[in-house]
Amino acid sequence: MSEWQPKILAILCNWCSYAGADLAGVSRMQYPPNIRVVRVPCSGRVDPLFIMKSLQSGFDGVLVSGCHPGDCHYISGNYVARRKFAVLKPLLEFIGIEPNRVQFSWISAGEGERFATVVTKITEDVRKLGPSTRLVKKL
Amino acid sequence: MTDSELKGAVLPALKKPGGAVRDFLRLAMEKELADAVILPMKVPSGDSFAWILMNDISLLDDAVPIAATMPVQGAKALRSLTRKGPGNLKIIAVMRPCEIRAAMELSKLGQVHPENLILATYDCPGAVQLQKYVDDPAGSEEYFAGMLQKGKPDDSAKPVCHTCENFSMFDSDIHFGYLGLSEKEVLVIPGSEKGSALLEGLGLDLTKDLQAWEKGIDQLKADKLNSRKSTFEETKAQLNGFNGLLSVFANCIGCHNCQSACPICYCRLCYFDSETAEQDPDALITAAEKRGGISLPVDRIMFHTGRMAHMSLSCVSCGQCSDACPVSIPVADVFSYVADQTQRTFEYTAGRNDGDPLPLRQFRKAELPGVHELVKDADAEVPSHE
Repeated sequence: MSEWQPKILAILCNWCSYAGADLAGVSRMQYPPNIRVVRVPCSGRVDPLFIMKSLQSGFDGVLVSGCHPGDCHYISGNYVARRKFAVLKPLLEFIGIEPNRVQFSWISAGEGERFATVVTKITEDVRKLGPSTRLVKKL
Repeated sequence: MTDSELKGAVLPALKKPGGAVRDFLRLAMEKELADAVILPMKVPSGDSFAWILMNDISLLDDAVPIAATMPVQGAKALRSLTRKGPGNLKIIAVMRPCEIRAAMELSKLGQVHPENLILATYDCPGAVQLQKYVDDPAGSEEYFAGMLQKGKPDDSAKPVCHTCENFSMFDSDIHFGYLGLSEKEVLVIPGSEKGSALLEGLGLDLTKDLQAWEKGIDQLKADKLNSRKSTFEETKAQLNGFNGLLSVFANCIGCHNCQSACPICYCRLCYFDSETAEQDPDALITAAEKRGGISLPVDRIMFHTGRMAHMSLSCVSCGQCSDACPVSIPVADVFSYVADQTQRTFEYTAGRNDGDPLPLRQFRKAELPGVHELVKDADAEVPSHE
């Protein structure tokens, strides 16, 4: 069997990061093929459960990306998202999920290059951590 | 905790604090300053209490304003009355501080409309664990009488009562205080304009200064804060890492009683009771093949961690979840600890009634720098978008 590859869920805001991913693609930028993208209307839509559930179902990492502060299409969704993640993050660490497995970032529609950088970074971070074992269903 | 300028009126308490509260309510109803009151009353079998909304003054004699145990969280009773709007009746509800705090959280969620309610609290000595009360009502009443005298919980009380720092006046309209006072008197203290108006209407003069009572409260609060600290340390050690969490919830039978007893979990359909939460059988079989075995049904830990993420910011640590657990998991100890941590993140205290919206309904532009790796603008605060 070939070498283990991390599987990372990327939850991207429709108005910025998702378009940023598009831009990275049409600009033919290189980034690791380890992400699976889910498009959401706003990073504020992301329920902490989505993240827990994806780790439980076998993803090794999760990236949530929304608009830069002040740029939210719905004015303040990303600020609220940040508050939700501030609650979730210590909870995840508490139950033994390494901080680097779940990352949040701001990427605008114009930042194709940044998108490639962020994806490369989280892929390398998660690769270093190895397969996720916490929260994965076990006895 | 309170302004030293605050004053209260004295009620004669020949029949212990509960009797003084009852006399106060009778007077309020006689003078038509309240249309009805909500109080606990013993159920016919004598081993529990139920909330009764009463407008008949004669029913007051059978009510137990300060009940030994709390079978149904009072906020649930208030929600059932006012979830569609404030209504026309002026109602006085006498409840434990944690019940009033839960009602305040529900009002921020649009589930309780307190406009026409007068929320009254008392110095809560703690509540006897429900199971203990049901098993031995007479013995529990004795325990509770002792608790009431000392003003603090004993071994028969819920574990969270020992670590409760908000056991006295907390943003209620009126408060009945008896700690630190002689057994002959009960203080009635207004906590809002509504409360002041009621006392004025009843002709009760605010003549008594509150120093003795405040001293009693502060002393007890200091004790409780100490025990809170040490208990949280223990809980933290016990929960350490995923395995700690697993072992605490290992015997969970997935009945979701903790969720239905919780005053904050008002959602008509919880995600965890929905079809979406069900796992695909094929996925389970694959997982079992990979790992050699899995426990079924799945998602018992997910249910608890998910509930933590959803409601811990509004958790008032009332302990109903522990009382409801048929397999004696210390649910409330865990949730109380987690709630303390999450609410601290936003310097929020659940149940506060200062016009501050829920933490997830407001934000500041520059805050929580650790969450995203890049927070570029540090503008001034902006108000909530509500």
